[in-house]
Amino acid sequence: MKRFLASPFAGPLIALVVVAAAVALTTERFLEGGNLSNLVLQVSIIAIVAIGSSFVIFTGGIDLSPGSIIALLTMVFAMAVKMGGLSLGSGVLVVLALGVALGLVNGVLTAYLRIPSFITTLAALSAFRGMAFMFNKGSPIFSVSPHLERIFYGKLLYVPLPLYYVVVLYAVAFWFLRNTAPGRAIYAVGGSPAAARLSGINVRRVQLLAFLVAGLSAAVGSVLMAARLNSGSPNYGVGMELSAIAAAVIGGASLAGGRGNIVNTVLGALTIVIVQNGLNLNAVPTSAQNVVVGAIIVLAVGIDMWRVEIGQALSFLSPTKGESPARSSP
Amino acid sequence: MPAAALWELQEVTKRFGGVVANDRVSLKLYGGQIHGLLGENGSGKSTLIKTLSGAHQADGGRILRAGVQVSLPDPIAARRAGVATVFQEFSLVPTLSVAENVHLGRLPLHAGRQVDWKRMRLDARRVLSTMNVDLDPDAVVGSLSVANQQLVEIAKALAADATMIVLDEPTAALGIEEIARLHALLRRLRDQGRAILYISHRLDEVVDLVDVVTILKNGRVSSSADQSRVELPYIVQSMVGEVGEHYPKERNARDEVLFRAVNLATANRVRDVSFEVRRGEVFGLGGVLGSGRTEVARAIFGVDRLTAGSMTLGDRPYRPAGPPQAIRSGVALVPENRKADGLFFNFTGFPNITIARLAKLGRHGTIRLGAEREAGRRLVQELDITATAEQRLAGALSGGNQQKLVVGRWLFAEAELFVLDEPTQGIDIGAKIAVYRLINRLTAAGKGVILISADANELLAMSDRVGVMSHGRLVGVLRPQELDTTSLVRASAGDAGKEIVA
Repeated sequence: MKRFLASPFAGPLIALVVVAAAVALTTERFLEGGNLSNLVLQVSIIAIVAIGSSFVIFTGGIDLSPGSIIALLTMVFAMAVKMGGLSLGSGVLVVLALGVALGLVNGVLTAYLRIPSFITTLAALSAFRGMAFMFNKGSPIFSVSPHLERIFYGKLLYVPLPLYYVVVLYAVAFWFLRNTAPGRAIYAVGGSPAAARLSGINVRRVQLLAFLVAGLSAAVGSVLMAARLNSGSPNYGVGMELSAIAAAVIGGASLAGGRGNIVNTVLGALTIVIVQNGLNLNAVPTSAQNVVVGAIIVLAVGIDMWRVEIGQALSFLSPTKGESPARSSP
Repeated sequence: MPAAALWELQEVTKRFGGVVANDRVSLKLYGGQIHGLLGENGSGKSTLIKTLSGAHQADGGRILRAGVQVSLPDPIAARRAGVATVFQEFSLVPTLSVAENVHLGRLPLHAGRQVDWKRMRLDARRVLSTMNVDLDPDAVVGSLSVANQQLVEIAKALAADATMIVLDEPTAALGIEEIARLHALLRRLRDQGRAILYISHRLDEVVDLVDVVTILKNGRVSSSADQSRVELPYIVQSMVGEVGEHYPKERNARDEVLFRAVNLATANRVRDVSFEVRRGEVFGLGGVLGSGRTEVARAIFGVDRLTAGSMTLGDRPYRPAGPPQAIRSGVALVPENRKADGLFFNFTGFPNITIARLAKLGRHGTIRLGAEREAGRRLVQELDITATAEQRLAGALSGGNQQKLVVGRWLFAEAELFVLDEPTQGIDIGAKIAVYRLINRLTAAGKGVILISADANELLAMSDRVGVMSHGRLVGVLRPQELDTTSLVRASAGDAGKEIVA
């Protein structure tokens, strides 16, 4: 038990299991096959966007812009494909390239012009959504392409395609952070920028890299968002930045930087989506849902922060080591 | 000696889980006495101070004030009872003024609830003048030097009418003159009848200052104030047991020149500095804080750009555009501030070792974790680092182990020239000796070492040649045999620089 509690996956996994169990107890429909595959679809976009948010958080920054990037890029995508006559494949490539470019803007402002990421991406949150409204007179574009929905709703071997995207992208991100020098540098910069610099790491380039990844993952999210509703809209992605940050934080990432595991981010994303799903199944209104999600974030971070105390409390229950925790109470 | 102890600890015991951090520690503090508390890292000093300052609660034993038992359930209660603790990390608010900080937590109020600014300023000025300190009560604390911030911290203690002042490593960041000024102040406070508990790793200055010492070892009192002799050999022996030599210097200098600096100058006040380092040689760099020692190190490591002069490394010209080039050329910097600039506290031991040369662990930017583990284990064994460094985060290791990790990083990076900036600052005597042995290993392997230290004895004992910095210039290079501590201190103070060169 102690070893499990000491592992990096313990907190987020406990939160996930507790939440899933609670939801399963309140409604039978939760475990139905239809609902579960619906969950996969719901979590996929948040989970993919949260990869980028996690990269930025690991370097000690924050990214508030992915929701607005999604709005802007679904509009660009819909315009390019429906009105510009671009093929779906080229459209996707354009969107991914633009996502990297938007990440570049955030990254250059933050890393090279030394404006705090909270400010640059807050500005981007406003500016990018503003740009989204400049297309098509601010109206959504529907029925982009008859083949578009297949990207999101298609299946391979009975498994929804988005599950493959999530698994592949997380596998790549996990490998990158764990087994490459730039991945290690991301944690080093988040842990101590000064020490990283004196260890020969180009701190600015690493911070920029994190924002490029964030732009790219938001772009992937925007393709899925457009495919899900076969449309582009300047109102898509509202609040997505908060869900993505919450996924990372519920997954135990430290907002101070340097600590966190990308696998836990997907656990965090699942937790949020299951909570929302459970509330939906129980017909709880959206306003109350938002309050509950806020409480879950606090609770999940709390469990992580109090891990030592929880471990001590549990050792009272199983005094196998034989040492009495002799502590005087004041 | 006064008749009754002002403060007394009786058989204080503190456990953390199964570990006994303080085992029946007894201590008597008299007014008008400076009491040194010594011991290696992990000997229980910090725990004891925290118990005294109300941050920890003892599991056994009693704390008496003027013979009456007191309870100190939290830091506020301790402060109210008259214990003022000046920790290494100051508890000052940098954006507030001196006067506000001095009265923090007990601002003088008008009859209503408004702050009485006038009284606050007057009070602060009165306290500062009793200390013989000339500080503007309206100055913003963040704009003051570290030494002056410390004086504000002490003023805070005095304003709260503390009967006991605890100072934890107060000189870690101070220059020679500032230390002397602090000591004079502490002596004055002692003569006013206060009890002072003084903790420091710089044994020379402790011997200089304190009246009595208590020495801790493994959580117990190894030598009480009644038994202890206030002299260096006795103290070192009580702290670590048998140590053999305090400075285990080996001479490994060869003839081949490894590094040469010619007329270096930087925007950071370094001017016209020339010297060379041979393979196997320790070139000491001394001088007071702010004399340009650290700035020379920064220039060599490529952190500060040269505005004039040139360097060669081996037989090639060396002009680093930044730390990455310096590292690739084989130069290492062990920075002065190990905690902020050296270590990654979010990493365990091995990633701390490999971070400067990850390219060695795989191709095309990949890292083979198996290779990292192997390299880490080998260095941990070679440098005698605790085996727990593999699992534990760097912050959970002792200061000595932390410093070895940073040196290990540069061995892993295959550096040839090691610039060590205050490598033994804030670590205990046992760990210091380990660092000295490490320096010997470096020189035996033909590496060049530039040793920067404010500890004159260490500098003279461990260097083959010593360069003295003053006002950004190198005012002389001498063999240690030609120098003694006093002349080094005088030379670095600047006035005697010319005599030395002549």
